[in-house]
Amino acid sequence: MSHSPTAAGGPNPPLLQISQAVKMLGGWRALDGVDLDLYPGEILVLLGPNGAGKSTLLATACGRIALDSGEVRLAGQDPRRHAEVRSRLGFVPQHLAVYPYLSVRENLEVFGRMMGVSRATLHERVDEAIRWAGLADRSDAHCETLSGGMRRRLNIVASLLHHPDVVLLDEPTVGVDMSARERVHELLRRLRANGLAMLLTTHDLSQAEALADRVAVMLDGRICLQGSPSELIHREFDTRQELKIVLRDVPDDSGVSLLQELELKPAHGSITWSGPVSSDLAHVGELTSRLQQAGLRTAEVRVREACLEGVLLRATGEELRL
Amino acid sequence: MSIAIFRAMLLGLLRDRGALLMSFVLPAVFFVIMAEIFTATTGDSLNLNVAVLDEVRDETSARLLSALDDSANLRVTRLDNAGDADREMLRKMVRNGVADVGLLLPADADPLDSPGGFGPEPIVIVSDPAKAVAVPMLTGQIRQAYFGGLPDVAMGSVVEELENQFLSLTEEQRAEVDDGLTEMRADAEAGRSTGWSFEDMLAYDEVAGDGGELNLVAYSAGAVAFMFLLFASVHGAVSLLEEQESGVLDRVLAGPGGIAVLVNGKFLYLVLQGVLQVGVIFVVAWLGYGLDLPSHVLPWFVVTVVASCTAAGLAMLLATACRTRRQAQTIANTAILVVSALGGSMVPRIFMPEALQKVGWLTPNTWALEAYSGIFWRQDSLIEIAAPVGAMFGTALLAWLAANWIAQVRVHGSRGQVTAAHPPEKVIQKEIRARSAAN
Repeated sequence: MSHSPTAAGGPNPPLLQISQAVKMLGGWRALDGVDLDLYPGEILVLLGPNGAGKSTLLATACGRIALDSGEVRLAGQDPRRHAEVRSRLGFVPQHLAVYPYLSVRENLEVFGRMMGVSRATLHERVDEAIRWAGLADRSDAHCETLSGGMRRRLNIVASLLHHPDVVLLDEPTVGVDMSARERVHELLRRLRANGLAMLLTTHDLSQAEALADRVAVMLDGRICLQGSPSELIHREFDTRQELKIVLRDVPDDSGVSLLQELELKPAHGSITWSGPVSSDLAHVGELTSRLQQAGLRTAEVRVREACLEGVLLRATGEELRL
Repeated sequence: MSIAIFRAMLLGLLRDRGALLMSFVLPAVFFVIMAEIFTATTGDSLNLNVAVLDEVRDETSARLLSALDDSANLRVTRLDNAGDADREMLRKMVRNGVADVGLLLPADADPLDSPGGFGPEPIVIVSDPAKAVAVPMLTGQIRQAYFGGLPDVAMGSVVEELENQFLSLTEEQRAEVDDGLTEMRADAEAGRSTGWSFEDMLAYDEVAGDGGELNLVAYSAGAVAFMFLLFASVHGAVSLLEEQESGVLDRVLAGPGGIAVLVNGKFLYLVLQGVLQVGVIFVVAWLGYGLDLPSHVLPWFVVTVVASCTAAGLAMLLATACRTRRQAQTIANTAILVVSALGGSMVPRIFMPEALQKVGWLTPNTWALEAYSGIFWRQDSLIEIAAPVGAMFGTALLAWLAANWIAQVRVHGSRGQVTAAHPPEKVIQKEIRARSAAN
């Protein structure tokens, strides 16, 4: 994995460029003018609720789906028209896409050859991938005997044997425990340090905060927010904390007016509201008193450090859960 | 790149004992069963199980039954004569399937050694309509035993009828006839030809290259081999749909090789697996039943490779055209059973009505069987079996091209239809509709 490290969003041109991508599916705009760039040595995390367009965007980036308008450029070329440029791309599926009856080494050999690695370098690449995955002592074990975390790491390195410049990861840690997830994160950070550009979809906001150089939030086929996690949090909450209120009843018009006056935004059918709040607890107490006076009964009032979850809740009106 | 998927499938097979058993042992066992059935029922020996009740119990009836006992085609079970109750027992044995057919020599009938037509018939065949074919088989055996084993009785009846109808023999002529009949009986008992048996008028000229049993061994080997080729090829090809579900397809599609790597790698593997599978069956036919494989190994190999390509191509076409494993298996099982029945893999086509025989020509099983029969039965050269081999080759080529085309269209179709683990369009449409409905 001898990639030259570069700063995220630095002077290098983007490896993956998606410009004004539009894809209609049965009358729906699955992609509605998406613009996205991915630079060497950065992890761009794609967030959004189910159906927002994340999978379509990944399939587009691979050249699997033809756009109705707009364009995709991988290292300056259209991956649909130029199959050879796809050798610069790796794709890590959400499922454990390995052969269970083959050993770790055999799986890597098979996928290496499928991705066009020459026989001369295959052995070396496989050894390298095994080291990266931390599976040196299990290289001859059949995959079905590996733990979930080991399989996840194998699933990732199986897409790196041909030394791609860009890797697309579709929920790479789904279904693994915290410890295994941390080892996957460690692997991804090392890959980033080696200059790999990674576009990663996840529903795990803590993963996004832990890994992302930049976050793009998709909703209804559009990128509605884009930037580094700290930028997005700062943009939404400034230096304040996040207030989240869960009401017992749907508010009437006067209640809605009051909530909006307090800079809160709704989610989940107007029951949950969130927004920035001063860290001054007296201010929070005053705010809740006003709600009670307006006849709004609260089930939960929570004040916490602003994070991506709050950003996403305010941007999309939906919560993402682990 | 295709060799990589070839290797993955090969290792998968070698590590799956169940699949190994299904691919190589089951077809061989099935072939042995079929070969035993064919050779037992259509070889030199009919092996008809006959229950016999002799109520007459005179010298003539004893001689007739003795002649039947000597027949290699019959297994005779004699019942003790105990009056009408045993007739019912005889009928019950046939009705219950203990005997294929029954033979009754009734006491209250015309004698066996006199011209018939005056009283009840001296020979009664008790039959089950479900085994109607046993009646002409037994009739033929009785006729052969009567004229071959009892020529003096048959001739004596003719002489007696001659005297009754047309002329009277003098004492001297009668003595000569009696001497002649005695001589005939002596010849028959000594196993010499009497010139009276119908068999003495027949000669046999077989048009096949080898003996009858070997013909049917070659036929059943080809029949079983192609049917299992189809089953095994489909089993291997649907792993493409498993790879779609597991995400392997997603990973490969993102690479430079694309779907062709998977389709062609699997095709190559299925061809090799098919050749080995057919090889096992024909080696069993060679070692176990004397089929002359070594003398025909080159044409056999050509036909086997082409037949394996046909099965592999059709299986890959099915796998690329179907969306789920269940769909593919359901269609495959139905189609394979139908073409195997029509194509002669289950029952020889000569037993079928003419219309079905004609329909059978549309199936690859028939082409494969024609080619194998041509090699081992008629001793044909490759040129002479060019038609069935060409039909298989053409089918293989078209199926392989169609499988590649369908796979490409489904992966990179103009409307963006994909066969990946998470078809994005489907997921998106479903979820967006659900969200719209909820809102």
